[in-house]
Amino acid sequence: MDDIEAKIITNRNIVKDYFLLRLRLARPLGTVVPGQFVMLKIPGNTVFLRRPFSIYDYKRDVMSIMYKVKGSGTLALSNAVKGDSTMVLGPLGRGFNIYNKPNHIVVAGGIGIAGVHLLIKKIKANAHVFYGCTDEKELLLLNDLKMQDKYISTIDGSYGYKGNVIDLFRTRLKDYNARDTQVYACGPEGMLKGLKHALESHRAPCQVLVEERMACGLGLCFGCVKKTLDEKEPYKRVCKEGPVFNLWQICL
Amino acid sequence: MADLSVNLFHNMLKNPVMNASGTLGYGVEIEPLWKVETMGAYVTKGLSLMPHQGNPTPRVWEVRWGMINSIGLQNIGVEAFFRDYMPFFEQKNMPVIVNFFGFTEDEYIQCAKNIVPHRLIIGLEMNLSCPNIKAGGISFGKEPEAVRRLIDRVKSSTNIPVIAKLTPEVDNIADIAQAAYEGGADGLTLINTLPGACIDTHERAFKIRGGMSGPSLKPVAIKAIYECRKRVPIPIIGAGGIMDYEDCLSFFMAGATAIQVGTATFVDPFAIPKIIQDLGDFLDKNGWDSVIDLIGAACT
Repeated sequence: MDDIEAKIITNRNIVKDYFLLRLRLARPLGTVVPGQFVMLKIPGNTVFLRRPFSIYDYKRDVMSIMYKVKGSGTLALSNAVKGDSTMVLGPLGRGFNIYNKPNHIVVAGGIGIAGVHLLIKKIKANAHVFYGCTDEKELLLLNDLKMQDKYISTIDGSYGYKGNVIDLFRTRLKDYNARDTQVYACGPEGMLKGLKHALESHRAPCQVLVEERMACGLGLCFGCVKKTLDEKEPYKRVCKEGPVFNLWQICL
Repeated sequence: MADLSVNLFHNMLKNPVMNASGTLGYGVEIEPLWKVETMGAYVTKGLSLMPHQGNPTPRVWEVRWGMINSIGLQNIGVEAFFRDYMPFFEQKNMPVIVNFFGFTEDEYIQCAKNIVPHRLIIGLEMNLSCPNIKAGGISFGKEPEAVRRLIDRVKSSTNIPVIAKLTPEVDNIADIAQAAYEGGADGLTLINTLPGACIDTHERAFKIRGGMSGPSLKPVAIKAIYECRKRVPIPIIGAGGIMDYEDCLSFFMAGATAIQVGTATFVDPFAIPKIIQDLGDFLDKNGWDSVIDLIGAACT
C-alpha cells in the first residue's frame, strides 16, 4: 500500500452519468486483489476528503476506475481533464477470495459492475455473470468483458429479461449446485437484500462488496462501518475488514 | 538541527506532535505507511470501561472545508486495548496518552482505576464532551462545577497525570479550564470538535449531527488556547484544524506545548510525518534553537 502521484490519461463519459477514469501512476501499485479500492484525491480544490473507488482495472502503471456521478465529489471528478494531477492511496481493504469451484456466479447491478470488473477478468472462463441495469444503453458499462455466460436484465425491458437482476437470477439458480458454486456480488443495498433472500434456501457461499461513506480509507476513523452479526463488535470497518464481506455475516 | 523535544509531565517527548484521539485508529493501522513512533506520543482512540459499539451510518459527512463525524465512540474497551495493543507500543518504547470517557461519573472513575500505571503511559486524556446520562444528557464539560468535581474524583483514583480535553461549545472556556485546574488537572487538550449538523434539503431530514473538524476549526482553537493559557498555569495540548506546520506555529505561539493532528490525516495520510519534518526545517531555517522558544511567543 502506498500513496502515489498520478496524472489523468482520460476521463471519458461512457453513458449517462457513468465515467471511466484512466490514470498513469508515478509508481506501480502493490499486488491488487479484485474487490480492493483506492482513496482518490479529487483534482481541483473544491473537495476536501478523498473518495473511495473500486479498482476497475490495473496493469503496470495504468489504473482505471469506473464511477457514476452521485454527489459533489463525483461531480467534481467528472470535470477533471487529461493531465490533471491527483493522488492514489491503495490498494486498500480486503478483496474477494477466489476459491477453486466449478461455478463462479457474479451478480452486479448498475455501477456495481465497477467493483467486480477485475474479478470477472480474472475468472472469465468460469464466470457466469448476472447483470442488471436500467436500459439497453447501460450495457455499454460491460465494455469488453469476456465471460462464459452472460444474463442481462433491464428495468424497462429494452434488452434481455425485463425486471430486476435478482428475479432473473432466481430463474437460473436451480442450475447450480450450492456445493459447487461461489457467488460474488456488488450492487445497491436493495439488490443485496434480494440476493440474500433468493439464496436463503440454496445457501451457496456468497461474498458481497459493500459501499459506505469513508473519511480515511485506512481503518483509522471508524467512519465507514457495516453492521454484522458479530455480537461482541457488530460494526466492522468497510475499509479494513471489508469492503468484501460474507453475505451471511452482515445485516441487510 | 533545532531541538523539537518538549517536556510533558516530566517526560521528554522527542517532538511535540501527536495524533488527535480517534483519528489514528488503535495505532497499528498506519504502520504500512509510516511508523507510529515518528510522533512524540500516540493518543489512543477513546476508551471506555466496557466495549462500545458506536452509531449506525452515516458516521461521516463532508462539509465545506471540513467534516462532521458521528462515530459514537466505538471502541473495544480499556481492558481489550491493554491486552491487544499495549504490547505493540511496548515493543516500540512509545509514549502513550490514553483517551477515555464515560456516560456517568462512576464510569469515568472506574475506567481510570482500570488503567494500571505503566512507564509508557504519560497521561490520561479525559473526553469531557460525553453526554452525562444521569444529568439529562448535558455533556460533562459544560458546567465548571461538574468539571471540577469529576476531575477531582478521577484524580483521587489514579496516579497518572490527568489531561482534560475541553469542548469549545461553552460560554467561557477559560472558566472551564479554571475549574479543571482546581479539580487537579495536570494539563488541558484544547479543543474537541465543535458540534454541528447538516440537512439534506431534498429529503427534508438531517444527514448527520456530530462533531465538526477540519481547518475551519483552527481560529476557535487558537482563541481557546490563548484565553486558557492566561488563566491557568498547566500545559496545553492544542488541537483543532491543524493541516500543516504553519498551523502548528500559530498553536505554539498561542501557548500550546504540544499539538495534535486529526482530520488532516484523512486528507493526506502523511500529514503527521510531513508536519514534523517541516517544523524542524522551519526552525533551522529561521534560527530557532528549540520549539520551546515558540511557546507563547505571541502572548505578551
